[in-house]
Amino acid sequence: MAYEKKPAAGGAPQRRRFGRRKGCRFCGDNTLKIEYKELRNLRYFISERGKIVPRRISGNCAEHQRKVTAAIKLARNIALLPFTSGHSFD
Amino acid sequence: MMRTYETIFIVEPSLVGEEYTAIIDKFKGVLTDQGANILKIDEWGTRKLAYMVKKQNRGTYVLAAYEAPPQAIKEFERRMRIDEAIIKFQTVHLEKGLEPVAEVKDVAAAADDQDSDED
Repeated sequence: MAYEKKPAAGGAPQRRRFGRRKGCRFCGDNTLKIEYKELRNLRYFISERGKIVPRRISGNCAEHQRKVTAAIKLARNIALLPFTSGHSFD
Repeated sequence: MMRTYETIFIVEPSLVGEEYTAIIDKFKGVLTDQGANILKIDEWGTRKLAYMVKKQNRGTYVLAAYEAPPQAIKEFERRMRIDEAIIKFQTVHLEKGLEPVAEVKDVAAAADDQDSDED
């Protein structure tokens, strides 16, 4: 992804950037499971509105973003996650 | 041919105690009648739904994993559709089979399980 890009103004001249992008958390830690039942891991990837957080923000790699998306959609089907926050009761 | 599936279904939250266990047993029975081999039944207990389903905002989640021939799913789902105690269900085919899980799947909140498994 964006790793190879020229760092924006203010970045170090080398490839090393400080802070900012953490990279794909699932690639870094393979104990994390992406499953529709693992709500704890999925929560991070939905916005307050219930939308799926895009890859440019979540920092996931393509493969894991795809899995996260599929898992969120499964979880939505079975009412574990909301489709939208617009229909909240109480 | 047997495949491993996982069905998660939501039981009407107003059913408790005996009625509830009767429903679980009934569907266990349906599965075994269809030639399925039940691997595990996980009862998550009653939790809040993310949105209204059949005018309910809570539901009792039950997760069943089993090995069954593909035709069994059809019948199983048909039965669940008929039964009014089941408000929603979803079946997923587990391509890698059932992973042995060491973690505790328990009731309530979204932040429940302690990830203590190694893979």
